[in-house]
Order: sequence, then C-alpha cells, then structure tokens
Amino acid sequence: MSVDTPRRSESLRERLVSQFASRRNQLALTTTPGLIWLLLLLAAPLTFMVTVSFLNVNDAYQIVWEPTLQNYGQLFSGDGPFWETAFFDSLLLSYFIAAVTTVLCLALAFPLAYLLARRGGTTFKVIIFLVLLPFFTMYLVRAYSWYLMFGPSGVINSALLKLGIVSGPVTLFNYGVPAIIVGLTHAYFPYMLLSLYASLDGLDFSLVEAARDLGASRSEALRDVIVPLVLPGMISGSLFVFVPALGAFITPRFLGQGKVLMIGQLIESRINSLYAIGYGSAASMFIVASIVVAFAVAFRYVSIEDLGGA
Amino acid sequence: MATETGTSADEPAETTGGALRLDHNAKEWLLSRGLWAVAGALLVFLWIPLLVMMFLSFAVNASTFFPFRGFTLAHYAATFADGALMTSLFHSVQIATLSASIATVLGVLASFALARYDFPFKEFYRTFGILPMVIPGVVLGIALLIYFRALLGITPGFLTVVLTHSVYGFPFVLLMVTARLYTFDESLEEAARDLGADPLTTFWDITLPIVAPAIGAGFLFAWIRSFEDFIRAYFVKGTMDVLTTSMYSMIKYGTAPKMNAISSLIVFVIAAVLAVAMNVGNVTGYVAGTQGEE
Repeated sequence: MSVDTPRRSESLRERLVSQFASRRNQLALTTTPGLIWLLLLLAAPLTFMVTVSFLNVNDAYQIVWEPTLQNYGQLFSGDGPFWETAFFDSLLLSYFIAAVTTVLCLALAFPLAYLLARRGGTTFKVIIFLVLLPFFTMYLVRAYSWYLMFGPSGVINSALLKLGIVSGPVTLFNYGVPAIIVGLTHAYFPYMLLSLYASLDGLDFSLVEAARDLGASRSEALRDVIVPLVLPGMISGSLFVFVPALGAFITPRFLGQGKVLMIGQLIESRINSLYAIGYGSAASMFIVASIVVAFAVAFRYVSIEDLGGA
Repeated sequence: MATETGTSADEPAETTGGALRLDHNAKEWLLSRGLWAVAGALLVFLWIPLLVMMFLSFAVNASTFFPFRGFTLAHYAATFADGALMTSLFHSVQIATLSASIATVLGVLASFALARYDFPFKEFYRTFGILPMVIPGVVLGIALLIYFRALLGITPGFLTVVLTHSVYGFPFVLLMVTARLYTFDESLEEAARDLGADPLTTFWDITLPIVAPAIGAGFLFAWIRSFEDFIRAYFVKGTMDVLTTSMYSMIKYGTAPKMNAISSLIVFVIAAVLAVAMNVGNVTGYVAGTQGEE
C-alpha cells in the first residue's frame, strides 16, 4: 500500500504520509490519546475512590494513609440494628424504585416500539419527533416539569380541587415515592423505547406470521417468537433505565421533597454538608457493585455492541 | 421500512367476507386501535408536564393553574435580565463546546482504532470507552471531585468541569463513529489508492466526508450531554456556576417564574434544532443505533 519512491522532497505533507504509513504508528496514534484520557480521568479516579473508601480523609481533603474499614462500618452502624440505618434503608428503597421504574418503562415502551417498528413514513417521523424532543430536553427541566405537576398545591391537585372531583389534596399526587417513580419513568422511558425499537426494527416479522400460520395464538407468538428475539433490546434497555435510576439525584430531590432519601441523595448530603469523603466513597462502592452485578447478568444475554443502542 | 400487515388501522379491512374472517378483522381492528390508544396515552404522558410548564411560563401565576390571572411576558424579560443566570448559560456553552471538541477528537481516533485494527485487549478498550456513559453521575462526580482535590490538588472550577465532561462525552462519539465505520465500504479507499491518492489524500477526500455525519452527530450528542449535565458539574464546579446548577438553586429557593421561562426556552431551541436535524440527517438512525440508511 505504501508506494515509497526514493525521491525525498521533505515537505510536511510527505513526512506525515510516510510517518503514518506503518500500521504500528497508525495504531499508536489512534489508541493512545483516548487511552491516556480514560486512564487519567476514569480509571485513576475510580481506583482512587476505592482506595479512599478504605482510608480516612479529614475535612480539608487530607488523607490519612492507614487502611481502615471504618467507612464501611459507619454505613451500617446506628442506634438500631444494621437494617435500620439510613444507608441500608435508602439502598433498599433505591433498588425498589429503580426496579419499579424499569418494569414500568418496559411495559409502556413495548407497544410504542412495536408500533414504530411496523410503521414508516410520516407517522414514524412524527412519533419519533414527539418522543425525541422530551428526550433531548434537559433532564433537569423534565424533573422540574413534574415538580410543578405534583405537590399538595401542584397542577394535578389544584385542577382536581377546582373541578370539584376531590375535596382535599390527594396524597397520591403529593411529593413522595409515586411522584419519583413517575418522574424517573418519564426521564428514562426514551432509552427503553429506543433500545426496544432498535431490536424490533431488526426483527423479521415474517417469523411471527409463520408462527401464526402454524397455529400459534397471538400471545404464544409474542411469548415464543417476539420476546426471545427482542430480549437483547429488553435487557440493554432495562440496564439503561435501572442503572441511572439507581443513582438518581435530582428527581428524588425535587419529587421527594425530603420525604424520600435515595442513595444518591444520601451520598451527596454526606459529602456536601459533612465532607464525609470516606463515607461517600464507601457508599458509592455499593452502587458500583450493583452495576457490576447488573452488567454481569446482562452480558450473559447480550454483547457489548448491543449496548450501544442508547 | 416495516412490512405492512393487518395491524395498521388506516388500511381498509380485507374484503374476503365470511363470518370467521370478519371476526378476525374485528379483532385486528380492536388490537391496532388498542395499540394506538396506548401510544397516544404515552405521548400525552411524555408531553403533559412540558406543555403545562410552557403554558405557565406565559402565565402571571407561575407555579400552578388556579387561580389563573392572565398572560404575561414578564417572566421571560426577567430571565434575560438575570445577569448571573446569563453568565452561567455562557459558561455552559463554553464548557459544552470545549469538552465536546476534546471528546470528538479522542473519540474519532479511538473509533478508527476499534474499527480498523486488531490489537490486544481490544474488547477491554471498547468496554472501558463506554464506561463513562454507564457510571451513574453521582459516582463519577464524587470520584473526580476527590481525585482532583485530594490527589491532584486542583481547585475545582472551569477546567475540572471541562475535563469531566470530555470523558463523559467520549462514549457517545465512540459509539456513533464506530457504528458508521463498521458499515463503511473500504473498497472506496482502496479505489482511491489504486487511482494514485496517497493515504492522507484518501483520508481527507474519501474517508472523512463519509464519516463526517457520524462525527457531527457524536459531537452534538457530547455537546448536549455536557450542556444538560447537572450532577457531575455540581460536584466538580467549585464556586463557578453552569446553567444547570443555577437552575437547580433557582428551584431550591423557589423562583418558579424564571425557571419556567428558561426551561421553556430550552425546549423551544431544542425543538427547532431537532426538527432541522431530522430533516437534514438520519438523527433517529444515530439515536436508535440502527445505522445504514443515509
């Protein structure tokens, strides 16, 4: 491929060309910058955080280099048994909220993704525009828009009151767990939709027709043909909903209004008000570990490339 | 794109007659109507809070509907007159542009490595590259805060946010550009070289123009991710404010009128950009990861 002629006019251009004629140099040029960046700003900070979780840090961000399990002990120590500590409570609650959000997103996104995969043209464009616009809108703005809707004097409750449907604010529409789940579902729904759409779009629907022709009922065709083939999309979509929902901060902050403490808020409050770096690092390890487990499970069914969807 | 069968509502019912057949059609009709009803309800769900917010941004009473006191543009005027808010908006634009540029350069190079070469630990490199997108913001934000402050001794500020967002934006560029490179017809490059172009010319005249839309989409994604990120910036911003952190304190201290206005403005701008982008390039393709049709 490199047609090296003996003539050597040393223009910059030719020097560049000859420099990158070798695949070795090309490889070095393409891999190194990204690698350095990832090592410096991803691997090193995360490794350091793991280290810090086993060390003491004072409030001037100075580290005491003596290994300790104190940070982990703190997570689970309080007045009562460990399952009554703030950390354990909010960890469980976060799993619960993230799981419910994931299931809701899956159930809601499937029909719409199916419709999108079966329709082309203008209908497709309009629907995808209507879905993508909220998706591209700032996450903070979307959490805020639900903040206006919920609450004792929020839009929903005041409209119900005005219309005379209820006599006082409905608790369901106050700030709290239901509001958070709605907010998170709204926030991460498009990830699920796009993942599902990507796999449904690649699905050969003649297989479904074949199954129907061979006597499968509609639900059998769904269960035995569509779901197994769309499974990678369902799994990657679920990951992209579950993982961010688990670490959510803004949504529970606004839509919980202090009544609900998810793990992300707990860590933030310890770090920002108490400078409890060690505590925060140790607590973060539980999020990281949960994610590693979630991915390990998911990778049994999908490859890393399938996760590129969202 | 999709093959049409009986599931679409607008198609006339097949006229083959017979009681059983009609029954089947009625069933199909009901099912497809049900599907459309669910889709409609979902779109309402996605849009209602945003529409309410946009409506309230023009209303005198800014936080709830009742009692309604009329329309005004005063909230928008107050938003534009808010110097601190405009400064933070300016910071956000600068940070997003800088960090997305870094992410794009690094991401494009890495994409070529992944798509064109075989090397040891390639899968590891790919996974590593996608990681910043997957790690929750709280974790990445705290890890970088501790790292910058306790290990490197850098005072958090503009630079640390740019660095943080450049890593955060990297996977978006990587995913989009590798997807494009995988579908790239390399015989085009061979043809150019056979016709006497040197590798550099081939790159500028053949490779780059073909990959450019994906690079643009990657840049745009990285830009938006940086612009809308709150949690990572919140931890590493120091005393500087970006748009999202200003907005966060606005909500915290209850100044709904300006918050509605700035939020609605963002929706308007994004609607315009998205409408243009969808008609110019295959945005949906990039977003859904289904590459190929140009």
